[in-house]
Amino acid sequence: MYAVEEKNDVFTEELKLNLGPQHPSTHGVLRVELKMDGEIITASRCDIGYLHRCAEKIGENVTYLQFTPYTDRMDYLASMNNNLAWSLAVEKLIDVEAPERAQWIRVIVAELNRIASHLIAFGTYGIDIGANTPFFYAFRERESIMALLERPSGARMLYNYIRPGGVGHDVDDQWLADVLAFCDEFERRWKEYNTLLTNSHIFIKRTANIGVIPKDVALAYGCTGPVLRGSGVKWDLRRDVPYLKPYDELEFDVPVGEGTHGSLGDCWDRYWVRMREMMESIRIIRQACPRVPDGPFMDKKTSGMYKTPLKPKPGEAYVRCENPRGELGFYVVSEGGTSPIRCRTRAPSFCNLAVLDVLLPGTMIADGVAIIGSLDIVLGEVDR
Amino acid sequence: MNEQELHGKLSGAGVAGLGELDTTGPDPFVVVEGSGIRPVLSFLRDDPTCRMEMLHLVTGIEREDRIEVAYHVSSLEHHHSLTLKVVFPRPEAGGHDDWRPGVPSVADIYPAADWHEREQWDLLGIEFEGHPDMRRILLPDEWIGHPLRKDYSYPSEHGGIPLELDAVPMYERGPDWEREEKVRKAKKEERKAGTPLRQPPAPGSDRPHAGGQAPASSKGQRHVIEPHSGDDDDGKSGAH
Amino acid sequence: METIISFVGEQFGLEGVLALSIAYAVCIGSLLGFITVYAMFAIWMERKVAAHIQVRYGPMETGAWHGWAQSVADAVKLLFKEDLIPRSANKVMFLAAPAVVFCGVFAGFIAIPFAAGVQIVDLDLGVFFIIGIAAIEVIGVIMAGWASNSKYSLFGAVREAAQVVSYEIPTAVALLVPILVVGSFRLGDFNAFQEEHGWLIFHNVWMPIAALCYFISSLAGCKRAPFDLPEAESELVSGFHTEYSGMRFSFFFLEEYASMFVAALLVSTLFFGGWTLPFLDVTSWPYGLAQGVGMAVLLVKTFFFIFVQMWLRWTLPRMRVDQVMGLGYKYLVPWGFAALVGTAVFEYYGWRFVPGVF
Repeated sequence: MYAVEEKNDVFTEELKLNLGPQHPSTHGVLRVELKMDGEIITASRCDIGYLHRCAEKIGENVTYLQFTPYTDRMDYLASMNNNLAWSLAVEKLIDVEAPERAQWIRVIVAELNRIASHLIAFGTYGIDIGANTPFFYAFRERESIMALLERPSGARMLYNYIRPGGVGHDVDDQWLADVLAFCDEFERRWKEYNTLLTNSHIFIKRTANIGVIPKDVALAYGCTGPVLRGSGVKWDLRRDVPYLKPYDELEFDVPVGEGTHGSLGDCWDRYWVRMREMMESIRIIRQACPRVPDGPFMDKKTSGMYKTPLKPKPGEAYVRCENPRGELGFYVVSEGGTSPIRCRTRAPSFCNLAVLDVLLPGTMIADGVAIIGSLDIVLGEVDR
Repeated sequence: MNEQELHGKLSGAGVAGLGELDTTGPDPFVVVEGSGIRPVLSFLRDDPTCRMEMLHLVTGIEREDRIEVAYHVSSLEHHHSLTLKVVFPRPEAGGHDDWRPGVPSVADIYPAADWHEREQWDLLGIEFEGHPDMRRILLPDEWIGHPLRKDYSYPSEHGGIPLELDAVPMYERGPDWEREEKVRKAKKEERKAGTPLRQPPAPGSDRPHAGGQAPASSKGQRHVIEPHSGDDDDGKSGAH
Repeated sequence: METIISFVGEQFGLEGVLALSIAYAVCIGSLLGFITVYAMFAIWMERKVAAHIQVRYGPMETGAWHGWAQSVADAVKLLFKEDLIPRSANKVMFLAAPAVVFCGVFAGFIAIPFAAGVQIVDLDLGVFFIIGIAAIEVIGVIMAGWASNSKYSLFGAVREAAQVVSYEIPTAVALLVPILVVGSFRLGDFNAFQEEHGWLIFHNVWMPIAALCYFISSLAGCKRAPFDLPEAESELVSGFHTEYSGMRFSFFFLEEYASMFVAALLVSTLFFGGWTLPFLDVTSWPYGLAQGVGMAVLLVKTFFFIFVQMWLRWTLPRMRVDQVMGLGYKYLVPWGFAALVGTAVFEYYGWRFVPGVF
């Protein structure tokens, strides 16, 4: 039917492949333009913005308090941590500190949410690699965390719980006891994950020595969080620049990549950093739960803003927080009005994703998927 | 080192274009001339006592009289951080949407700046001279204007799809529920009368450029809402 | 087949072409029915196995007991779904591909003995025929991938071609080992041999290696995880059948489960005694009963291996293309040849175990 007319009709050329925006393993609506030589990626270009919801523009048009729910929707897997960063930024601007009890509650809920977020990272990474089962195991535990966080906040995913000046509602002793019970349960489950995925020979083969980010590249591209720690940099804001008082008093380690199965900074290291961070969070929660002091959970002065909008003095504040995905920063500029004139977000996923174009060339398409998964991006945060 | 010492260190090294340290707000910052941002950042990165390995953020801030570009850098080794600012006073004439201040790109000093600078160009229209790949990043390539500008005019259509001009965006609506109620009632009346849905807003409209290009003459092509009874009354039906 | 022809001749006095065509119709009809019912059951089983591995229940609502009718409902849904053909697809090939794929596996069923005498054709080269005819499937998949005019489909098809064709080698080499022992390609002879001498897997020390080699390479041949690269959901969306929908998609599905059945059945027939049980001698039983019991025994064994395939799929991560190829050529082929040569030596000297060692 299609006769080959000349012999040199047969030729090879580079194939352009659009990975996304609708693709099972781009974790949302990321689009990567790939140039492929067979299975091997020769060039790549990230295209983001499919989930751009103008969060920064909205921030300039709503009051300080009204913007808190919008931060939920940035990194929707770690809403508590986003709330926390925003609250701290506003508190810095109006020079208020949350009461002691609120600070300890913040630590507990933020760490719980960190575990939930890392569980998603673990589960979806399994799916990226082709193992479907870990996802369900991870969701089982995430379900318990969501049930726990639902009790004080009333929401399962987008909490709007940590607010400027404190937290939205108080927690009771029963809740704290249940959190501790969850910690015991989780420790047992965590071992299951390692049996299932971490120590699987195929999994190690697929992730070790893949997507190696050297230390200097990670720093230059502004990678933070597990991506930076996976490259062997011991940097954790909770330890190094404690943004909440309790972090100073708590004992925990900062897991870093060690190149156990391949080079330092490969996908497996990043994955393993996340897995160990879950256990560190459990350790923090264990210490924090009995130490939650009595007292108010919301600053008196600030709670007035629920009636009349807050008007901070002109000035600007930049606050960084250790999110599950890296350092979330809010840069708020006030000119004395009821809403900020600039509400800039340093989204950790955005910065971590920038390194992708460096990592992809030279790898296979299956590795590309593994690399995207190991960066653990949330497109809601990348595009904001 | 705190900001004071860092500023002293910078001025001691005689880096060109360095300005004053501003400590009025909660976060102090150092003002730098536009031409001085590259040498200052290079110095901060390479000096062993500063070691600012990481650039966190490049931010454009539009104010009444000026546009500022802020750079947040920090050191992991020494646990200190610094904010630098380049200020562009707004020109007397034409200092609006078409005014694009230019600042040298630092994408080769800090690769992290690459995407941040693209984003600031995209949303605020700040030109970064010497940037390797100055494209829009969040918005589509064919987008017109820079939406984070205060005088940004909302487009009436995008890619041939008319945008809803009647709807009052939530952030513009504010707590003025009466106004919203009024708009909703007016819409309902309009629908009952069977007039075309999309019409240029009244001349007294306070929204800039709203409906300036609204295709008012294309009555025949527009969807006309049939005046059927029991219609929902929340203005959703405009989303055709 | 001969039984049916003679039965038709005796009862209705039909001969020649007419009898032959009636026999064909009966055989193919019953085979189609079997494959469809089996596939529905296997899909239900897969969902149940997956669900229980993943700490959930799986289908529970459709039908009265544990969602048994879920597959029926799915089949009805697939039948009534719109049959989409991409505008830029090559229509003829796009439409023909599922049929070609299904034919390859379907033809393999002709030579399969379910019990003594329960077989459509007892081919002299039964084993050879089954693994040979299954290769037609690759052609269909390449047709599907190319005709879809989608890059993901093309990737999937090329991966399938490379993988399945490469794994024919270890498959064939590993199958040669029991063939060498039995001295026949006829599937019925394997059962007879094992009835007499015990299961082949225990025949000598090389047999487990050969069985493992065959089982692993048959997984790759069926595109089952960890070798499901042609579909590779997280990489290639859905591989070569990305663009297919409705009944045509279900043909690919059917094909996958049918080839799983063939692979599992070959393992149980060639290595695990087929329809024989070591402690149960059914040869002296009356005609129908012996066949019934034999069939049940074979199906139980087969479904056990299908269960193992499913178990592996929901436990293991997926391998990469080069790793799959490396496994095939660096490990399975050499070990398969080692087993072949070793068995030849052992057979020559009449050893079962390594003499002097154990």
